[in-house]
Amino acid sequence: MRYSVTAVTAALLTLVGCEQATVPQGEAPAAGTPSETTAVEAAPAPVIHHWTNDKEIGRGDGPANTEHLLSAPSDPEQWLLYGGDYANHRHSPIDDITPDNASSLKVAWAFPTGTSQQFEVSPTVYDGIMYVTTSYNRIFALDAVTGEIYWRYDHQQPDDLRLCCGTVNRGAAIAGDLVLMATLDAKLIAFNRLTGEIAWEKTLADYAKGFSATSMPLIVKDMAIIGIAGGEFGVRGFFDAYDVATGELRWRHYTVPAEGEPGTETWAGDSYKTGGAPAWTSGAYDPETDILYWTTGNPSPDWNGDLRAGDNLYSNSLLAVDPDTGERLWHFQFTPHDVWDYDGNTQIFLTDVQRDGEAVKAIVQANRNGYFYTLDRATGAFMGATQYVEQVTWATIDENGRPVVDPRANPVEEPDFRVCPGNLGGMNGAFSGALNPDLGLAYIPTIESCQYFQKGIVAFVEGQPFMGGLPIIVDVMSGADYGHLSAIDIHTGEVRWRFRDPEPMMAGALSMAGGVVFTGNRDGFALALDAATGELLWKFRMGGGVRSQPVAYRAGGKTYVAIGSGNDLTIAGFAGGSVAVPEGGHLFVFSLPD
Amino acid sequence: MTIRNTLLVAVAILVAGCGPASPADTFRADPEAMKRGKSLFVGTCAGYCHNTVADNRDAPYLFDRQWLHGGTDREIFDSIANGIPGTTMIPFKGKLPQGDDDIWRLVAYITTAAANQ
Repeated sequence: MRYSVTAVTAALLTLVGCEQATVPQGEAPAAGTPSETTAVEAAPAPVIHHWTNDKEIGRGDGPANTEHLLSAPSDPEQWLLYGGDYANHRHSPIDDITPDNASSLKVAWAFPTGTSQQFEVSPTVYDGIMYVTTSYNRIFALDAVTGEIYWRYDHQQPDDLRLCCGTVNRGAAIAGDLVLMATLDAKLIAFNRLTGEIAWEKTLADYAKGFSATSMPLIVKDMAIIGIAGGEFGVRGFFDAYDVATGELRWRHYTVPAEGEPGTETWAGDSYKTGGAPAWTSGAYDPETDILYWTTGNPSPDWNGDLRAGDNLYSNSLLAVDPDTGERLWHFQFTPHDVWDYDGNTQIFLTDVQRDGEAVKAIVQANRNGYFYTLDRATGAFMGATQYVEQVTWATIDENGRPVVDPRANPVEEPDFRVCPGNLGGMNGAFSGALNPDLGLAYIPTIESCQYFQKGIVAFVEGQPFMGGLPIIVDVMSGADYGHLSAIDIHTGEVRWRFRDPEPMMAGALSMAGGVVFTGNRDGFALALDAATGELLWKFRMGGGVRSQPVAYRAGGKTYVAIGSGNDLTIAGFAGGSVAVPEGGHLFVFSLPD
Repeated sequence: MTIRNTLLVAVAILVAGCGPASPADTFRADPEAMKRGKSLFVGTCAGYCHNTVADNRDAPYLFDRQWLHGGTDREIFDSIANGIPGTTMIPFKGKLPQGDDDIWRLVAYITTAAANQ
């Protein structure tokens, strides 16, 4: 690896013009280009932020292609997609970790990221190499067996990022010989997966207007699909398809209609112009029907809907899209005219469910609004919703899937009605669930925390938060918040078991075929649960609170489970739990003893 | 309001009275203006920036009387109107529905709420 470990060494390398990529903050380095910095120009020493690799690495698996992506559900040696597979099950076929031996898991290796704030990564594994992204958009390529670092890139951020919810990133995608990372300043960067050199870089949108990108791109065919965040800034949400090879934009799907387009009638006046509806989580893809599914977040402003009367399409919706054109086929809106920030973008699972003795191709989702939805994935038809959060006060759901809102739940200037769930959910798009198709159970990490919603006069100022109010965290202040990971029967929507935790559960989940579910908690423990019963099998204190998405893979003849540790109080404070949130950014990789 | 805080407000008014009258004084005496000032704060300033309770957000908590950029009415007005360079606090002059009057209502609400903490 071409890198230096001290600032002194870095400065020396710069002075002699070595092959170290050295560029000022905010500029993309030309991959493999020797620095042209002169001694005169070198003061002060530039920031070293890119360490490339020139060794032979990997097992020679070659470019990752569609066949690799389609075989994800059955290939134990890779973890290519945020959802584990196109159906988003996050279910590993590996069966040698079982309820009988999970308690003997040990640390195989660990890796410090050197970053703080939420460490929300879902590591990506291919060709014996693990790709790990961190807060602030560092990306590391590591040996999946030993943790040896191969290459590293620290994205240089502008100092005036416009973020609602932390400096997070949830992982990198692999396509061909490229690995792709979206950034907080709304870029998409493609690296050579073996050398770390930058192949191309695209700007998705102007970060200064409130745009950012935090999710793992979804690779479909020869495209990378990536959505944008910014629902707290009154942006016009969208998700894009980029040609993986060239970085050229294939299509853009706006999630809020433009003037004259159908759907503007669901926005009072011209409120659609600042309508939000971001698309900040990863979607799903059905290769059988060739339909791409994406979900959207809240309308803007978040907590005052007075100026945007109407359903506010296509906020808080599931969108079915033609992946070749970006054309919308149908939609289903979970929370019309949202005034609580109930983003409709929690993880969607593509699965078959039983109805009247027949299997129906469905989508199930534990929505942030407290209900577990089942939809027909061919048509978007509503098939049912059940309550999976223990406390739901804002609405019931009618036979058509439309909420019947309790008027007391609407934000007012002096609120005194306890609205459940709070603005973070329920489940939340910042963390994943998992689904065991053999057991027919979906595993949903859940926040139990209620709030008062207060509204106020709101002014739109481009690039500034456009909120319209605030949630008053009554449960946090009284210590009444808690959490659980719930196992939900995908056929009936009933809760089979709950694993309870004193604090809101905000880490992702991993299901394994051996009958074990992995997750983590706010206290910084990695947890292994019996997939059938919820019994706690094993825990390990990693230190930092857990906000990452666990993954499993086999390499070198062994099974590994990777979980990141690292949290931050800012967003966690909305949900509650310990004030002294353990921070830190550290990846732990566990295995069974030889 | 406690006696101590009443005195603080009184002293602040006296100090302000040594120079040109602050437009915030008029709004402090007007309950409707104070209500609008609070509503502007809740709807536009709070949420993900300046919280109504102390926490560790990037944007400072404004009710602890620890003024980072000056605590006179005029200095607070200028911070809101002109923004704080190098931060995401951009100028709000001309951005609020009722212009400078709304900024002065915010000044009146923030200073009064701070004095009551």
